[in-house]
Amino acid sequence: MRASPAIAALQAALAAEQGAVYGYGVVGARLSGASQAVAQQYWTAHRQACDALTAMITARGATPVAALAYYDLPFPVTSAASARQLAVQLEDGVTAAYLGAVATGDASLRTFGARAMQTSAAQAAHWRGSTVAFPGLPAQ
Amino acid sequence: MPRRRLLITSVPLVLLTAGCRSADLFAGPDPLGARPPLAPDTVVLQSVIAAELDLIASYKAAMATSGNALLPVLAAQHRQHLIQLKAKLIVPSGMQPAAAKTAARGSAQAPGPHPAGLLRAAELASAASLTAHLVSVRPALAQLFASIAASDATHADALAGA
Repeated sequence: MRASPAIAALQAALAAEQGAVYGYGVVGARLSGASQAVAQQYWTAHRQACDALTAMITARGATPVAALAYYDLPFPVTSAASARQLAVQLEDGVTAAYLGAVATGDASLRTFGARAMQTSAAQAAHWRGSTVAFPGLPAQ
Repeated sequence: MPRRRLLITSVPLVLLTAGCRSADLFAGPDPLGARPPLAPDTVVLQSVIAAELDLIASYKAAMATSGNALLPVLAAQHRQHLIQLKAKLIVPSGMQPAAAKTAARGSAQAPGPHPAGLLRAAELASAASLTAHLVSVRPALAQLFASIAASDATHADALAGA
């Protein structure tokens, strides 16, 4: 049976959040001091987002996607600089994943997705050290 | 010949008795009637564009008195927002495009002694407004609003540290 657009959007967001949780484990291992504390804080935020999405999917009568045991990293993370770069990529991916929720016909889901985008875009901006004009959207 | 002449002369008579109302002759919208209302998406988009113009005017006013290097960067991103918003806008000919509310009055928001603080408040208000508006527009427009709202939220964070 095909999932409803709302379920599909929530599952996509959950999969992105699960990837971020895994990725921040790698990021945190390469950082220290204040940066590591921020990574820990964002890791916790992504875990909480996973819990919230899991509850939303379950409440709609669907089975949440399971996290993978292992995720391929887009590049080797061997330094603090590459860890920050990975964190940017993780947050950008999460921001883009919530666009699906914003496109559903459910007003509350749209608002939820938009607010989640604001959180992950702010976290991406922290690691990037600058802001972008269109978080989550493909390059204009 | 007399029959044909009778037929020709009877056509205006039919129109006359019908009252010559265009609504009776055409099945579509009355071309002589009032202009149709703008689509709901267009109305929302116009107000969002007006707010974006206001924000840009506020940045311009702030940059005139502040040397903060962050301001031109954020202002440039707002100009990018404006371009994308305008690209989505289709206004029937003869209708007024959106204009900045403050700019139309000839005075952008005064920057004051702490322009970054005022701009931060404006960015937060913009993000909240876009988030409220995106529930009622078509999906592609909702996604653009959500992305711009996220950008505005990051601007507010950046200004908090400025």
